[in-house]
Amino acid sequence: MQTETLEVKLKTAAKFLDRWAVETTTPEPERLDVVIDATDLLAAVAGMVKIQWGYLATITGIDLGVEDGRLELLYHFCSGPAVVTLRVRIPRGNAFIPSIYEFIPSVSFYERELIEMLGITIANTPNTDRLFLPDDWPEGVYPLRKDFDINEAQTPRNRKANGNT
Amino acid sequence: MATHNPTQKAPERETFKIPIGPQHPALKEPGHFEFAVDGETVTDATVRLGYVHRGIEKGVESRTWIQGQYLVERVCGICSHVHATTYCLAVEKLAGVEAPPRAQAIRSLVAELERIHSHMLWLGVAAHEAGFDMLFMYSWRDRETVMNLLEGITGNRVNYSANILGGVKCDITPEQDAAIRAGVDYLEERTRHYLDVVQNDTMFMRRTKNVGTMTREQAEQMGVVGPTARASGVPRDIRVDAPYAAYKDFPVNVITETAGDLHARFVVRVNELFETFRLIRAILDHLPEGDLQTRVKRKIPAGETIMRIEAPRGELFYYVKSAGGETPDRVKIRTPTLPNMASVLELAVGHQLADMPMILTGIDPCFSCNDRMITVRDTHSNQRDVWTWDQLRKYGMNAAQ
Amino acid sequence: MDINKTWQGVLDQVKTWARVNSPWAIHYNSGSCNGCDIEILATLTPRYDAERLGVKLEGSPRHADVLICTGPVTRQSRERLIRIYDQMPEPKFVIAVGACALSGGAFQGCYNIMGGIDEVIPVDVFVPGCPPRPEAIIDGVVKLLGQLQGGVSAEPVTLTEESVPAPQGVKPGLA
Repeated sequence: MQTETLEVKLKTAAKFLDRWAVETTTPEPERLDVVIDATDLLAAVAGMVKIQWGYLATITGIDLGVEDGRLELLYHFCSGPAVVTLRVRIPRGNAFIPSIYEFIPSVSFYERELIEMLGITIANTPNTDRLFLPDDWPEGVYPLRKDFDINEAQTPRNRKANGNT
Repeated sequence: MATHNPTQKAPERETFKIPIGPQHPALKEPGHFEFAVDGETVTDATVRLGYVHRGIEKGVESRTWIQGQYLVERVCGICSHVHATTYCLAVEKLAGVEAPPRAQAIRSLVAELERIHSHMLWLGVAAHEAGFDMLFMYSWRDRETVMNLLEGITGNRVNYSANILGGVKCDITPEQDAAIRAGVDYLEERTRHYLDVVQNDTMFMRRTKNVGTMTREQAEQMGVVGPTARASGVPRDIRVDAPYAAYKDFPVNVITETAGDLHARFVVRVNELFETFRLIRAILDHLPEGDLQTRVKRKIPAGETIMRIEAPRGELFYYVKSAGGETPDRVKIRTPTLPNMASVLELAVGHQLADMPMILTGIDPCFSCNDRMITVRDTHSNQRDVWTWDQLRKYGMNAAQ
Repeated sequence: MDINKTWQGVLDQVKTWARVNSPWAIHYNSGSCNGCDIEILATLTPRYDAERLGVKLEGSPRHADVLICTGPVTRQSRERLIRIYDQMPEPKFVIAVGACALSGGAFQGCYNIMGGIDEVIPVDVFVPGCPPRPEAIIDGVVKLLGQLQGGVSAEPVTLTEESVPAPQGVKPGLA
């Protein structure tokens, strides 16, 4: 019964998201990954909320690296055992994405995390304040970007521990 | 403050902001709360965390897969085992290996023992917030039983590190089996007493009934997880929805309540303890034989995976990505306190200031879990007013904290 | 004059006696994972019951003799830790509990970590362990009290810019 509902759930999502999908994959039996364009994000998220498919678990931001030149955002929707991930890729230099706050208000934290940790500009998100990085953290330094050097941000003792003098 | 002038029209009702924390007597963890109050009634609530933000997600990227496990274990000292289990299960999935059945059963067993310790800890702390120190002392005394069991199995009271990639590193001997059964029997008897207390104690009822009520619709909309959701009648439990480790073989009954208030959250957690005792006995009765570990290579093949686990506080979400090397490429951790914290700030509005500590502890907040990445402010107040310390100092609230 | 001196001496003895018999402690988590914090709480609850030794956990720094610190110092909590230390009346003592409080522990090398407690404020007693057992924490307190009984009172320390290193590094414009 469990697998049946899982399949039904994934099928519903796949069918629904098909109109925006650039690429659809099933990396694991309980997962569905749908690559969409950044311009379609709002429509897709609004749709998922409208058909009440699960809840948004979180947004993962990934830096694909300097060579690749892109950032990837993963919007994870969970419903029972099924996880549907909307994947959006945006250029690293001009990282911009619309906010989905109007559909899912609890998303504010996740979006602020993206702003701070990856330096993504999020349009129309109600609050862009610094969230969890300290007050004296310099502007324009994004810890989760791959070119952030962890040794730059340390006390002398820590630097010693990392083998850098 | 406007000077008093009787001829002037009464000014609009001023709200007063009460900053609390980050060092404060009620909670043992740093979090800075700000409650806007009108008289005694809370009209707005915000929280600024980040005092225990350590940068673990970045830290994991500069450590090997094995070292990473010890770092994620220290995301939170209360539920360290679930963090390690989630991480290990995710990495094992990426590596294409599966821990032997006995290892999976022991993982579940330790996770359930941890749930007992976490729920009893919470019961004590929440009782302490209610001014009920008797229950605090009792539940913490009884909690030592389960701490002993965990120490017996793994060698440490906290941060037990029972997991390694590919299995577990501790076995359950017949002596431990007997000790766990005896401990669980004792705790079950005590838990009956606690259930009696939370259901019948008049003072406790008055402190918790109809406080911080969250309807099922609200719970679903806000995406709350764990006991907080189950107290509002949302049967959301990852152990049932997407069984991991040994939960396929040892099914769990979901405990729900419908009231959705603080009292329901107490009842759900205490009732969950009974379910946990039953599970522990079931796992001990049918503990599979076999190895404890399989080998996991140093380099994990490229790929990405998602792992979800039911932590004592709710759904724990891990996203792990490997680039094929000896270190993780990205580890994303979403802890259960985060979605629950958002709900608490919503619920705070309209309640008495004196209820705030209780409502806060009602979700069993864990700041060190949260702060591995996140600081939270409420979603509905758009104005920014995180105060700097200088402002705070000028405000003269230092002595009060 | 002499009588004043005698009085002072007697008063000091009484103060030390009182302090040793009932040290009031304040607990601050400057970035810990909670592991040490729950062990400190366990120290106060019936199994270990540090209160029988007169140790009382106090909410306000203004009333406390001993600051029990857990966790590595994060950038954000650094200033707060200094403030709490400043607010405590003289003489004050600091116990650093846990591996992270000693050196940064498992979090060494993370970008938001300043290092151990002693990078920020002077520490009198270090209690190692991840987390230390409640017995070890009690032992730490007893060691501190033993020090006090021997008449070794901590020198007043004034925190200056030199003694408290500001956060370093993080050059802007990396990304």
